[in-house]
Amino acid sequence: MTTLSDLEAQAARRAPAFGEHAHILCDNLVRIYKTEGVEVVALQGLDLLIEKGELIAIVGASGSGKSTLLNVLSGLDVPTAGLARVAGMDLLSMTAKDRLRYRRSVVGFIWQQTARNLLPYLTARENVLLPMKLAGRKATPGRADDLLELLGVADCAPRRPGQMSGGEQQRVAIAVALANNPEVILADEPTGELDSDTSEEVFGALRRANRELGVTAVIVTHDPLVSEQVDRTVGIRDGRTSSETLRRTSEDGDVIAEEYAVLDRVGRLQLPRDFMNALEMERRVRLELERDHIGVWPAGAGEENGE
Amino acid sequence: MNVWQLVKVHRGTALVLALLSLSASLLLAALPRGYERAYDDAVHGMLGDVSAQVTDLAVTGRPIVPQALLNHPADFRNRYEEIAQGLPPQLRRVVVPLGQGTSHYSAKTTGTPVSGRVGGSSRSNQYVDFAWLPDATARVKWVKGRPPGASSTLARLPGRPDLRDLTVIEIGLLAEVVDEMGIDVGQSLVLGNSYPVVAKVTGLYELTDAADPYWEHNGEVTRIVERPIPGSTDTEWLTAGLISDDGLTRLDERREVSYWWVYGVDRGRVEAATAPAIITEVDDYQRFLGDLSGGMGNPLELRFQLWTGLNRVLGDFLVVLRTAETLLYLLLGGLAVVSLGVLALAVQLLTERMRTGLSLVRARGASLGQVVRAGVAVVALAVLPAALAGYGLSYLVPGPATPLAHVVPVVVALTTLLFAAGRLALAHRRPLKDTRSDLVSVRPSPRRIALEFLVVLLGVGGAYLLRTRGVATEAQELGADPFLVLAPAGLALAAGILTLRLYPLPLKLFTRLAGRRPGAVSFLGLTLAARSRGGAALPVLILLPALAVSVFGALVSGAIGDTQSRAAWRDVGAQARIERAAEIPEDVVAKVEALPGVTSVVRAGKGNVQVGVGGMRATVLSIDLKDYRELVAGSPLTVPDPPRGLGVPALVSTTLVPYKEIEVGWHTRMTIRNMGRLDELPGLSFPGENLIVMPFDGPKRAGLRTYTNILLVDGDVDRATLERTVGLADAEIETYTTALADIRDTPLTGAITVAFTVATLAMGAYALIAVIVALVIGSADRAKALSFLRTLGLSQQQARTLTVLEVAPLIVLTAVAGLALGLVLPLVVGPGLDLSSFAGLAVTDFPVTFTTPALLAAALTAVSILGAFAHATAGRRVTTALRVGESS
Repeated sequence: MTTLSDLEAQAARRAPAFGEHAHILCDNLVRIYKTEGVEVVALQGLDLLIEKGELIAIVGASGSGKSTLLNVLSGLDVPTAGLARVAGMDLLSMTAKDRLRYRRSVVGFIWQQTARNLLPYLTARENVLLPMKLAGRKATPGRADDLLELLGVADCAPRRPGQMSGGEQQRVAIAVALANNPEVILADEPTGELDSDTSEEVFGALRRANRELGVTAVIVTHDPLVSEQVDRTVGIRDGRTSSETLRRTSEDGDVIAEEYAVLDRVGRLQLPRDFMNALEMERRVRLELERDHIGVWPAGAGEENGE
Repeated sequence: MNVWQLVKVHRGTALVLALLSLSASLLLAALPRGYERAYDDAVHGMLGDVSAQVTDLAVTGRPIVPQALLNHPADFRNRYEEIAQGLPPQLRRVVVPLGQGTSHYSAKTTGTPVSGRVGGSSRSNQYVDFAWLPDATARVKWVKGRPPGASSTLARLPGRPDLRDLTVIEIGLLAEVVDEMGIDVGQSLVLGNSYPVVAKVTGLYELTDAADPYWEHNGEVTRIVERPIPGSTDTEWLTAGLISDDGLTRLDERREVSYWWVYGVDRGRVEAATAPAIITEVDDYQRFLGDLSGGMGNPLELRFQLWTGLNRVLGDFLVVLRTAETLLYLLLGGLAVVSLGVLALAVQLLTERMRTGLSLVRARGASLGQVVRAGVAVVALAVLPAALAGYGLSYLVPGPATPLAHVVPVVVALTTLLFAAGRLALAHRRPLKDTRSDLVSVRPSPRRIALEFLVVLLGVGGAYLLRTRGVATEAQELGADPFLVLAPAGLALAAGILTLRLYPLPLKLFTRLAGRRPGAVSFLGLTLAARSRGGAALPVLILLPALAVSVFGALVSGAIGDTQSRAAWRDVGAQARIERAAEIPEDVVAKVEALPGVTSVVRAGKGNVQVGVGGMRATVLSIDLKDYRELVAGSPLTVPDPPRGLGVPALVSTTLVPYKEIEVGWHTRMTIRNMGRLDELPGLSFPGENLIVMPFDGPKRAGLRTYTNILLVDGDVDRATLERTVGLADAEIETYTTALADIRDTPLTGAITVAFTVATLAMGAYALIAVIVALVIGSADRAKALSFLRTLGLSQQQARTLTVLEVAPLIVLTAVAGLALGLVLPLVVGPGLDLSSFAGLAVTDFPVTFTTPALLAAALTAVSILGAFAHATAGRRVTTALRVGESS
């Protein structure tokens, strides 16, 4: 017989929490935009785990909540409910001061619009130095130049954004994002405005930052060139993570991509829309537990089966 | 962040902000200076209109006991200094030192009768007083004899055995005494009935400068007063003569002597700002003198008294000043609000321009403080040096600096910075705003509606209260009534809110109408106008008070102008009036009639008569009222129907109405038949006096002939020409033009007119700037919308029309609201404004004329819409920024 003290002990002896060791953790994240009567639910219970040093891409249709997720992760936006933790910092319970510190030293980010990332009247070097100065750190031009060199835009240091190409601007923007040694960099469609060659350069720069500096990188993108080159691609649909594509290199050097559906902590699963359409699944499905898998049948088909 | 770099990047906007700041600071610092100068001119003018005797401080002392007698000039000088010790600071500042201006001392006797003459026949009812005026020596010229010298003693007086050892004081008299009083050099007068002395006339003098204000204090030695003795038919003559220092020693307590210490006031040093202090200081000084003479053990034994009209004149001035101040504060307040509004708009423009950069910086890890500090520093770099320059430039405007001139620019600059800080803090409070551009605000929060409702209620309630209770009556004690300035401001705010809330209603109607028409531009323009509500608040809050104050100013100026004209007409009674006590000869009448420019002349007779046998007197006028009515047709004067009837019909004033027939003695004894009531004929009679108006041929009907001693002239003819033509020294000639100029050309009236003009122009300019800045703020969004529409086939011309249509409804509706507010303001403020001192008459009502206000509103609207048009035309490059598809 279970006694009360047993129960207490059981409660105290918690199971390892969900994603306890993840570098970025989103658990049942909800973000609702509300303006006097009108509500838009941009994130509806999103779960996401990213390990330290990972380079992942987030894909999804327009309006699926990608940018909202990125804004939440960058500390620019506050989620309505759920759990969001980056490098051990809880994004929901942060004070304004914590948030500022978080933005200064934990994350760096890059926007889609090349022009929006840099102050047009500052040179590339000054742009890189700016976050250091804002954080009250000693701004060392040497470090700025190192960063610019790492990203292959050392020659742009004395130039203003107007005198650079779009790709160069984005690479300088990555340098700016890396200025304060962040643990995570977030990029919102960094190659969205660029042609494929330039995209390749910019993505290459991101990957170099990820590999050489060990920075966790999260890239929101539409660009297959990017999404097909990362280890993991997370798909978002209607404010939830719906699928994950894992890539590994086979022994003969081919890249093998395997797409998975995401199963959340309570067992919810999003079936791909085309699967549902193909079998005309609607409202109800029938599940059957087999020895090594679960079978999903349209409600009608299952009923026939049952007869 | 390098602030200087930010300023350089946004130099255009910063320059606009700097220029606005400069102009606001200059206007708001210079206007109070100008006002203060006008006030000072007004107080100098008012003091200049009265004699030195009124404005100076004259202290008299009467010796009550022999010990108190002052016999030596040195005694007077010492007392002068002693009494001056008690002068309070402001009075001390305006008083001129002894020996300059009108500051002096003297000793005079009063009411000394001439009781006889030594060795000559005496004339009765003559008075000659002694006056010791040490400063007069340089101001007179001896025309006969010599100045008075040492005194002597007369052992006995012929014919008066009772009088022995009489004191003989030498005296000098005004030269006119020879003719008027029969006194000449060498004669000796016995002065005084009891304890007489002998005054020996040693010389006769003339004044070297009769206009010297010194004589205003010592009028008795400058003229011989001839006046009827009350209750008798006889006349008496009064004068005074100058005596020497030695003569002074002989003036004792039996001579009704009084000592005078006159502290001349330099009118140029009296300032409007110190007038209230001077008024209280006069009272203080009076008290000081009372203490000096009343105190126990007073060594002087003199009873001091202060004679001055300075406090009364300044009191009258303050009453006038308060009205002017209220009007000008109203203007200044309106101007301050409008300039602040425009500055706020420019700040908004600058912060919008800096927004992208600052939000990037904020996202990259700048704290709110860092962002606000940087933004405010940019605004401060634009505003502060410019404000300082404006303030410095205001020193070029002549006039003393009042606290207001120092405070207002500072307040404006600080408010601008605060506004910038507030805007920046609000815009960058969160790194990303908690809104999405695809979500629009559906309706304002209940809290905001409640607040706006409260403001409207307070504004309207305040106006109602002001209207019912009037202003604080004791303006002199309380200064300008602050409520009088606050209530219109509240009303303007209420009107602004109502306009903002209500203007979509008529717009909806227009949009619906436009939707039915074939063209898309008007519909699109009006729809855009209906959507642009968020950014509309500031331009409305600028345009509305700008127009309201301008309209109010126009109405007040109009009311003052109308009343001035009416007052001038009432003074003269025609375009020109020639009046003389004696008859005006026929040839003069003919000459006046023949003057070029004279269109008609009406003759009239005027006299002052005794009514019946009682003591009642009346002004009697003989004039053809029908002709007179034609003469003044088109003027504010009204003339009644002429009396008709047999005999001598007449219109009479109220007190005479009960009598059916009145007997008067005018040229002859005549009986007048009362045919109706007439209390006043402006220009010809004064209100309140008894009046009889008969036909011009009245005396003829009574059996004599017609008499003319007044000519009423119509036509364009100036006073100098009339004076030359008439050529009679005793004829009094007045023209409407000169009368109007007399009323109009006072410093305060001029100041008000100039202030209204400056304010109206400045507000017009501000309104134009407000519209353009508001358009520039929204230009990025508009450019986006227009570029999109242009890809759909909108032509350049249509795009321009669209921009104008987008702002025009708001401007027009705000102009209508401003016009309405401006027309209502006089009704609200009117009861509290006493404009009579500017208009020459009480301003009873504000004639609501639509012409000037409507013109103002139309002009302001047109200017603003032209601004929009200019912006639309100049913004061509922006509208094609996307360069999608066609280009033109």
